[in-house]
Amino acid sequence: MNTDSTDLDRLHAAVRREKADLEPGREPAPLWVMFLFMIIAIVAGGQLGPMTGGWSFSVSNPFSLARHGDPRPGGGAGAGATDPFQTAMKKGSSGYAVCGGCHQGSGTGIPGQYPPLAGSEWVNGGTERLIRVVQHGLVGQVTVAGQNYNFPGGMQPFGAAMSAGDLANVLTYIRNTWGNEGTMITKEMVEKVRKDESARAKQWTQAELESFASANVPGEIPAGPGATVAAEAAPAK
Amino acid sequence: MQTSPATPDTQADDLRRAAIDKSVKGPVLFLFLNGAFWLMASTILGVLAAVKQFAPDFLGPCSVLQYGRLQPTHVNALVYGWGVQAGLGAMLWIMARRTGQELKSGKSVLMVAAVFWNIALTLGLLGILGGRSTSMEWLEMPTFVWPVMLASFLAFAWPMASMFGRAFRPEGFMVSTWYVLGACFWFPWVFLSANVALHCLPGLGALGAGINAWYVHALILLFFAPVALGASYYFIPKVTGQPIASAQLAKLGFWMLAFLGGWTGMQHYMGGPLPAWMPAVGAASAVLLLIPVGVVGLNHHLTTLGKHSLVATSPTLRFVFFGSLFYPVSGALLALISNFSTGANLQFTQAWYGFQIVAVYGFFSMTLFGAIYYIVPRLSGCEWLSVRLIRNHFWFSVYGIAAIVVTSLVAGVQQGADLNHPEMWDQNFSQLALNLRPYLIARAIAWTLITWSNFWFLVHLMLMVAGLGRRSSAPTLLAHDHEDEALPNAAHA
Repeated sequence: MNTDSTDLDRLHAAVRREKADLEPGREPAPLWVMFLFMIIAIVAGGQLGPMTGGWSFSVSNPFSLARHGDPRPGGGAGAGATDPFQTAMKKGSSGYAVCGGCHQGSGTGIPGQYPPLAGSEWVNGGTERLIRVVQHGLVGQVTVAGQNYNFPGGMQPFGAAMSAGDLANVLTYIRNTWGNEGTMITKEMVEKVRKDESARAKQWTQAELESFASANVPGEIPAGPGATVAAEAAPAK
Repeated sequence: MQTSPATPDTQADDLRRAAIDKSVKGPVLFLFLNGAFWLMASTILGVLAAVKQFAPDFLGPCSVLQYGRLQPTHVNALVYGWGVQAGLGAMLWIMARRTGQELKSGKSVLMVAAVFWNIALTLGLLGILGGRSTSMEWLEMPTFVWPVMLASFLAFAWPMASMFGRAFRPEGFMVSTWYVLGACFWFPWVFLSANVALHCLPGLGALGAGINAWYVHALILLFFAPVALGASYYFIPKVTGQPIASAQLAKLGFWMLAFLGGWTGMQHYMGGPLPAWMPAVGAASAVLLLIPVGVVGLNHHLTTLGKHSLVATSPTLRFVFFGSLFYPVSGALLALISNFSTGANLQFTQAWYGFQIVAVYGFFSMTLFGAIYYIVPRLSGCEWLSVRLIRNHFWFSVYGIAAIVVTSLVAGVQQGADLNHPEMWDQNFSQLALNLRPYLIARAIAWTLITWSNFWFLVHLMLMVAGLGRRSSAPTLLAHDHEDEALPNAAHA
């Protein structure tokens, strides 16, 4: 019937207007494309080369075979291979921002109010005393570099709010800046003092700390002035 | 062709193709419609996840609605809900048409498989939202879903492979069909290997992360890419009436992708605790992949040369054309994040997300939209309702995806520079995250545009599947060619 056939026409219209499937042409690839692909292949080969670590299952450092060594800081052998003294100095310099409010960025303090750190015998002297001051704070009359200071309330304790590592870094920083030179203070040293003084809740006074004035916390000094440990051998290239 | 009088020969051919369309109608429309629903869900989740990154208090403290759960749900819905489902639908139709085989039996098996795929996916995504994520990229769904999904996929792959086996295969037959057939085999291989390795083998350690990265790359390169390429190699000649320019280039592009696709991935962890040769091989393959990508791009370019006016007219060609343009873009992005010079900077940054989205949305999905605009009128017996809705879908998708690609890449460059800068090493990580704010805001806006475009796509598709499309024998075209004004039935839709 007529109506049926138009309906069928409509139903199959989409199929009927389709174009035929065609066989692909035979156009050859242009020559310049082949040159481009060669360049890509060379770049890709560059990803292999020395980066493969000699196809060994036990080498994970992609620079192990590189002629100029590992370009990453510390030779890529992880944090252990970086100079711990330099790391502590760097971290300490950002941690010092807390101290600089009173002792000033230049470490000079403010005469009559805050004692200086530059050239201070408290900073350059025994590490037992220095760690205790920052850990628990200091109150009352203090004499630094021949000047007397007595700031109301004294210096606040900072130990509770800082990790042993952060504290050690800041102390290493102040002992080696503004012309100061002293041995590194390590995390282990701070931890040892914290253990020795675990019962201490009050700020120290100058008199109480007299016995620690020139005592140093025992412990290995990994790097920097007075290092007790030989520098680690450079990682194998 | 439609203007020539219907000889008995062409009429028989028309009827045969109509019968093939009818035989795959149920499963294909089911997959497309469910895929479009998941795409809708995924794009909404994409907006929410992007907003959560720059405004963590948005949506309150409920644990279900935090970034860590929204983001994997968004990506998994995109990959398995939309991507694989829509891909299977288009694969089945192309394979049936290209081999000239009707889907003879087992249609109910396909429907059951498709239903189970959706059930497993729903449970899996709810599992992620409920906090049972496995925290493996693209495999976040709880482990019980993968055997179900694998079985469902195989239920679809089997009839396609047997259609291919039964078909008469003349020369030049391979181009689109081989990509589709490849995808039928590669998805189960990649999916099974990764799931067995990651969920069943104990004590993988760092290698597990490498396998996970391999899985993401392999799924993109050995499933999404071949399906989209199969579709573009089918639809570009079909709509333009122009044969594929070079069979030689097509062959080269296929075999190089097949060979290299499975070798890349581990370079995601370059410099990490994997044997150094694994990332090195991955990086080399990722760069080498520029060759098959370039080959396909060149071939499409030569095929469409002089036919660009059709892009303005045919919705199918317009989407497929732009999807194909994104193939070289994703290949270039892959090479950028994978080689040792720029990869050291872009590794672990937003650029990685940008690559996933440009590959799955920009390249694969845009091509598949084109396929859907072609296939659905043949299955539902009516024409797309509205030119405006199609145009809307196209432009909002293009702007959205382009914005995501550009912002992710630029954000990746900045983020990588921040992370690697020697003076940034002791900065607060949250400061680096704050530096990304403008890019994340742009991403949220881009996903909003895409959500808008997909909402109308979903509505349009639902109307079509319900048979409420235009009753007409003329295709819905975006614009009329000037020469073709006299022939409104022009054959390019």
